[in-house]
Amino acid sequence: MAEDRVYKCLNPVGMTNPVDTFPLAPRLNTLDGKEIYISICGEPDITIPLEKKLKMDYPNVNWKIKKTYTTDPLRLSEEEMKTCDALVQGVAW
Amino acid sequence: MWRQLPYIAVLEKAGIPTVTLDFEDQDNMMNQESLAQGVPNIRYLHASRTVPGPEDVDNFVEPMLQMLITPLTEKEKENGRWEQSQERTLFEGTLDEAESFYGQAEWVPHPVNAPIAVYSDGYPVRVPTEERVKEMLAGTSHSPDEVMTYKSDKLTIRGERKKGDPVRFAPMNWTATVEKVAINAVMAGCKPEHLPAVLAIAESGCPIESTHALGQWICVSGPYAKEIEMNSGLGLLGMGNPANIAIGRSYQLMTRNLGGAIMGVNRMPSISSPFTHGTGCAENSEGLPPGWKGLNEEAGFGKDESVVAVFNVPDGIRGVQHSPGGYRALQKSGHGGMARRLGVKGVPGPHNWLEHILPEFWAGREGAKTIIMVPEMAKHLYEIGFKSKEEVYQWLWEKSFVTVKEYKNFSWVDITTNGWMGIEPISGKHWKELDDDHMVPAGGASPAGFCIIVGGGDEEVSQQLGGRRAGENAVYSIDAWR
Repeated sequence: MAEDRVYKCLNPVGMTNPVDTFPLAPRLNTLDGKEIYISICGEPDITIPLEKKLKMDYPNVNWKIKKTYTTDPLRLSEEEMKTCDALVQGVAW
Repeated sequence: MWRQLPYIAVLEKAGIPTVTLDFEDQDNMMNQESLAQGVPNIRYLHASRTVPGPEDVDNFVEPMLQMLITPLTEKEKENGRWEQSQERTLFEGTLDEAESFYGQAEWVPHPVNAPIAVYSDGYPVRVPTEERVKEMLAGTSHSPDEVMTYKSDKLTIRGERKKGDPVRFAPMNWTATVEKVAINAVMAGCKPEHLPAVLAIAESGCPIESTHALGQWICVSGPYAKEIEMNSGLGLLGMGNPANIAIGRSYQLMTRNLGGAIMGVNRMPSISSPFTHGTGCAENSEGLPPGWKGLNEEAGFGKDESVVAVFNVPDGIRGVQHSPGGYRALQKSGHGGMARRLGVKGVPGPHNWLEHILPEFWAGREGAKTIIMVPEMAKHLYEIGFKSKEEVYQWLWEKSFVTVKEYKNFSWVDITTNGWMGIEPISGKHWKELDDDHMVPAGGASPAGFCIIVGGGDEEVSQQLGGRRAGENAVYSIDAWR
């Protein structure tokens, strides 16, 4: 019977290139004396008090700011990457 | 997020530890995007959508900093490789069994809390048997194993693409062959003669919304629309015409299958839009007044060339703002409310009906608009002096100017001006240098953002859709895919 016929049905899913996955960067042993970037993408209700608190409560950290109001973060330059110890990205919307 | 995660991946791979703040309901997307970028274990924590900033920061700042110093777990130290099954045959069984298989859905937790279809848009699909796909492929001269590539240079939402570059489908950046597109065309209910349009849509990479309520739709321009009997008349955006419906639906099936877009996982429109059900139509090129170009010619193609324009709709349909009878009263004899608003009471038309809808145009959101109007209303604009679409675009744009003080009250401008740190494009001056009474356009940086599509029935209505026009960069040749 026709309804018993077995059909070969094709795969509509796109082709994925295999993704090589990497470990995270090693964490810092301390925050003191480190150069840490705050990469800000809008959400000033959060990022303004965040920047203020970090600078006030963690004065031994060399805080640096990269600020935009768009969803595309301002990248670190090659030179900045050489001295950057860590980065806080917020808010990722 | 799809701009931020690639950056985070670069930093982590370069040995710079990061921590990312995001909202809790974006976890699914964060996990998908970080996997796609090769750093599946990135450290992130939640900011609040509702708690006031200072209090929110007090809550998360210490755990956030701990994420920069807490040693990596064994899992976080792993190298690996992620790949999906690439089998050509996905399922073997009877048609009933196959229908169930392709109709399956899986539970997506908060913020959806409901099942979402795995291979479809939620409607039943036509099962893509090998025979049906082969029949579909008769609709194009392109080889089934040809990888989808751009047929011309394009500036896409994800950057510049050169002719010959492989098309990457949003949001997972997957690729596809012509056969993969044909499989989705079968599932959408397309006929072989629809395939060139579906391939042209596929060339767009089928962009989707991020977190806002974007919808997408397509409009075919050129002689192909008549060849395959698309509807450009009454109800062009509605139900009933097989070609409109199937071709429009193919877009959304491709977002799911070729792009890996899953509502609530990596496609996050809070309310979403009926346009994501898949809307396709054709423009009525015969209804264009003399001198008015079709979408094909506006994008630099010839009048006899066929194209598909891919549109985004960020804020839905803005109106029909007048009664058709009121419109006729305005144009025939200058009677009724529209005539009173325009100050032409008792003066027979034609009158510029766009004047009547202008007060609402930028009441909610700034930016250019796409206007769909019936041929009669386009003819009236022509008769009062608009001898080209460009003249209408220019007029609308000039009418959009508001004071800087007023402009500051829109909600997107904090982003589009980069927090007022950027340059105002018309004056070339820094935003902060401009006086409050300086005039700036609410209708976008230039008149080129506007779009007019002529189509529909005889009843005098127009609809305005938010969002920039498709523009030449979002118009794709259908003929290239025949």
